[in-house]
Amino acid sequence: MTMEFSPENKKKLAEILSRYPTKQAALLPTLWLAQGEFGFISQETMEYVAGLLDISPAHVYGVVTFYTMFHRKPPGKYNLQVCRTLSCALRGSESLLDHLKKKLGIGENETTPDGKFSLCTVECLASCGTAPAMMVNQKYFENLDASKVDEILNGLK
Amino acid sequence: MVPSMSLILTNRVGQPESYTLQVFEKTGGYQSVKKLFSLQPNQVIDEVKNSGLRGRGGAGFSAGLKWSFVPQDTGKPVYLCVNADESEPGTFKDRLLLEDDPHQLIEGIIIACYAIRSHTAYIYIRGEFDLPCQRIRSAVAEAYAKGYLGKNIFKSGYDLDVTIHRGAGAYICGEETALLESLEGKKGQPRIKPPFPAVVGLFGSPTVINNVETLSALPFIINHGAAAYRRFGTEKSPGTKLFSVSGHVNKPGVLEKPLGYPLKDLIEKDCGGVLGGKRLKAVVPGGSSVPVLNAQDVETVKLDYESLMQHGSMLGSGGVIVLHEGVDMLWALRNLSRFYAHESCGQCTPCREGSGWVDKILVRFLREGGTSADIELLKDISNNMMGKTICVLADALAMPVLSYLKKFPEDFAAHFRGKTAQAQMHVL
Amino acid sequence: MIMTDITLTIDGKQVAVPKGTSILQAAITAGITIPHYCWHPGLKAVGNCRMCLVQVEKWPKPVASCVQPVSEGMVVKTSTDEITKIRKSVMEFLLINHPLDCPTCDQAGECRLQDYYMNYDEVPSRFAEEKVSKNKMIDLGANVMLDQERCIACTRCIRVCQEVAGVDELTLANRGDHTMITTFPGKKLSNPYAGNTIDVCPVGALTNKDFRFKKRVWFLERTPSVCPGCSRGCNIEIHHEELKVYRLLPRYNPEVNNYWICDEGRYGYKFINEDRILRPRILEKNISHLVSSDEAVDRLAGLMKGGALDEIGVVANAQETNETLQALADFAKTVLKTRHLYFSRREVENPVSDNFLMTADKNPNQAFVDKLGFRPLSTLKEVRGLLVLNSLSPADMKKVIEKKVPILGIWASNENPAAHSSAVVFPIPTYAEQEGHFTNVRGLTQKITAAYPPRGEARLVSETLEELTERLQTNARSYTQNSYPLSPHL
Ligand SMILES: Cc1cc2nc3c(=O)[nH]c(=O)nc-3n(C[C@H](O)[C@H](O)[C@H](O)COP(=O)(O)O)c2cc1C
Ligand code: SF4
Ligand code: SF4
Ligand code: SF4
Ligand code: FES
Repeated sequence: MTMEFSPENKKKLAEILSRYPTKQAALLPTLWLAQGEFGFISQETMEYVAGLLDISPAHVYGVVTFYTMFHRKPPGKYNLQVCRTLSCALRGSESLLDHLKKKLGIGENETTPDGKFSLCTVECLASCGTAPAMMVNQKYFENLDASKVDEILNGLK
Repeated sequence: MVPSMSLILTNRVGQPESYTLQVFEKTGGYQSVKKLFSLQPNQVIDEVKNSGLRGRGGAGFSAGLKWSFVPQDTGKPVYLCVNADESEPGTFKDRLLLEDDPHQLIEGIIIACYAIRSHTAYIYIRGEFDLPCQRIRSAVAEAYAKGYLGKNIFKSGYDLDVTIHRGAGAYICGEETALLESLEGKKGQPRIKPPFPAVVGLFGSPTVINNVETLSALPFIINHGAAAYRRFGTEKSPGTKLFSVSGHVNKPGVLEKPLGYPLKDLIEKDCGGVLGGKRLKAVVPGGSSVPVLNAQDVETVKLDYESLMQHGSMLGSGGVIVLHEGVDMLWALRNLSRFYAHESCGQCTPCREGSGWVDKILVRFLREGGTSADIELLKDISNNMMGKTICVLADALAMPVLSYLKKFPEDFAAHFRGKTAQAQMHVL
Repeated sequence: MIMTDITLTIDGKQVAVPKGTSILQAAITAGITIPHYCWHPGLKAVGNCRMCLVQVEKWPKPVASCVQPVSEGMVVKTSTDEITKIRKSVMEFLLINHPLDCPTCDQAGECRLQDYYMNYDEVPSRFAEEKVSKNKMIDLGANVMLDQERCIACTRCIRVCQEVAGVDELTLANRGDHTMITTFPGKKLSNPYAGNTIDVCPVGALTNKDFRFKKRVWFLERTPSVCPGCSRGCNIEIHHEELKVYRLLPRYNPEVNNYWICDEGRYGYKFINEDRILRPRILEKNISHLVSSDEAVDRLAGLMKGGALDEIGVVANAQETNETLQALADFAKTVLKTRHLYFSRREVENPVSDNFLMTADKNPNQAFVDKLGFRPLSTLKEVRGLLVLNSLSPADMKKVIEKKVPILGIWASNENPAAHSSAVVFPIPTYAEQEGHFTNVRGLTQKITAAYPPRGEARLVSETLEELTERLQTNARSYTQNSYPLSPHL
């Protein structure tokens, strides 16, 4: 099995590469493209990206494990990322997290058996003024409480 | 003519479609550009120096002065990096500027680039910022379409490319040299200084890194002049600043205030007072990395660089976190130690090991209780971390630890072993 | 370009060093050691361990001396109370998550943690929490074993791969105190200089699978020498005890190999210990007999006198020292008066070479062989018999067999096909057991020294040649090929 970007992403990659004086500088954008297309960053993806950018797989591995937003395993369809940092904690993120755990029957860094929801905590999302907050995949949900969270979950099909 | 408006940065905030080029131009956007190109780059630098504008990313370094360090004879390109990584706990003002007024930022980028003679700017935006990223992306696209970016911008003969670069989840990438590393496709590990980025920065070339808010203030300064800017704020801290207020207040949010504004007024008048009418216990005035203030400090402190310094704290990013009487400061501190231990890039021994150690001690303190020896240990570890590392993330943990211990010793004493569980407070 | 000198004061001593020098290096010049972990003189300075912090007068914060360039008039203090406290604290930080398994650690004796511990820590641990657990006993390939828990994240090994081997095979994964050294998952170290990672690792995180647990280092003696693995002539240190070599380490020489050696050279020591020829022997009716050195010399002299001496050819070898080669050349020219001066050498299939250290010529002394005018054995003319140094390459051996030229005598340290078919065999020391010189590919002549006396009854070639000369010049008994038929080549 060989991995390859879709023609559309190949075009995007070319555009990205034109923006930097080195190929390596395109690493984060390329990993974002890959995560978008393949859902997560597998070892195979890392080697593919390393090849595209003429850098070592070891370097790519170091980078992928440094940043928290690259998934090395496929997350659930909806990745619930609850902010745990001070401003959100002051406004009840701990109990919100407990509520989610109970409701979904999973713990932190786990995925429901049907693969629909993953749950994890993240550090400050810059939503402190609208705390508590969580990010579902890339979308922010703010000013949360238990009932609002229930509503949101019901809306996620 | 000095405008009558009271605000510099947030005039368009909350207006419908404020993020579009159309609304921006209708409300005076891109007006500074004509004047800009009639000035020499050095005149722009001087104007900004005279305005007294200081970096709003946290360090508070004079923007004009930083620009003047860029050598112009290296034969290499000069870069501007826009720091839109906004990850300091308690800070959410750049997000507002990106979402509601992205063109103002682009106008600021044009000014800064012209001043330092840069033709390439990168906007490094934190990976979590989806809507802000979309907004700045479309704004950049609009600007390119109109000829405001790209080749021969505004038919001035000046070329300027702007590229948006998304981070991927790492607080440390807000530190300017870590940001450069990350942009170059590496781990966000801060660099040793010297050399400073102004001389050896992105791709080995002279580089200026400025915060979103800093750059967003530039159109006003060019439009109305340094003197007009100086009419806001204090002698030593001129201008306005965005304060992100969060935690236990009735009306949290981002507020633009002239520097020197009393913190007490910010909480009481602008944010509707402490949540639930409770007593104020503590305020973190400049993002989680700065020393904490107690209620007594809040009575007198003003929101400017000098007054906060006098009160043993710092203006930082202007992230104001308000804590009411119900908060156990040990619990609050542990929340932050977890953050810093999680975000340490892991290069330097004292930060890599010390942050995790502090966090583990605080967890044990919370769960099983601690001793006065633990307090001494925490102080010693913090002192051993402070000022000994490549970047100041280590200090950003050590300062809160030392100040929480100093200002709220009773909260820690309540967790001494042998105390009953009910003596131990918790939040809410 | 003339470098301007900068004058500064370190602990009260004035030093002048070129502009751009780091404080740490300036201190070394002044004879002051500043403890350090991540800094290595052969690698780019990164300043991450923070052990080398010093104070500079009028500067607000201590600075990392390994990355801080000197400036004019700087007043540096390296041993104030504050600096001592910083070093202690760095030691403490490094040890909190360290497994402290010194009794079972192979690095014991050459561990920087142990070394500095004596000076800066030695207080009971204040760490009462659980240590971060990581993986131990990971086989990284290329004989390198990794214990992630012992790693102090100094990145020296990463930099060796990048800067010396020119490949990026190691990385620090994760961040904070979960940082750990690793290759790309599932991949092994595959560069020919990987062994240097072990040398530079200041702690027991990277150890040598080939050496692990064989010897505690403090039992080992060290002898300076030169690697015989190729014509580069890298400077090495032989680590040995009694009559056995345990490992080879690089020895600094800025003109040849800096701080590095290749793995071929590093692990190329086994022949010193194994498969040795330790006693003289003669071949009689296809059977080999151990004899005394005297008897062997007698026998060879007899064989040589069976015909004209100038019809005998000599075969030098690019593995031998200048001294041995010279002795053979002199013998050939003055005693045998033969024109048949040949050489053979070690040939390997697909020799690895690069533009750093490794050369395709896997012999340490071809340059001197050429200088003395020995010709390749492929040009072999009619001769009555051959005297051989060391061994013959497979191609040369084939040639000798084809031409049906008998090997009358060989001087060899290790068993080899030519020795098996030689009428007389003299044991000689390996390079590790003798003094002498090698001349490398760039014409540099370098000294080797003896780690220990020649093993068994091995003697220098020059000694037996002297005795042989004596025998040839007296009227000793001569043997003909008929009276002692030489064996066909095996
Ligand atoms: C740990 C750390 C995190 C930082 N995070 C940010 C950030 O998120 N945004 C920002 O603008 N500056 C941040 N800074 C400050 C930058 O290093 C730098 O001073 C700033 O971007 C310069 O821009 P300014 O002069 O316009 O403020 C951070 C600094 C440190 C040490
Ligand atoms: S202080 Fe911490 S975050 Fe900063 S460079 Fe050192 S280890 Fe990294
Ligand atoms: S394995 Fe050794 S050399 Fe490599 S980073 Fe760890 S301690 Fe340093
Ligand atoms: S490069 Fe040649 S001389 Fe140097 S260590 Fe390797 S084999 Fe020995
Ligand atoms: S030797 Fe200077 S920081 Fe490690």
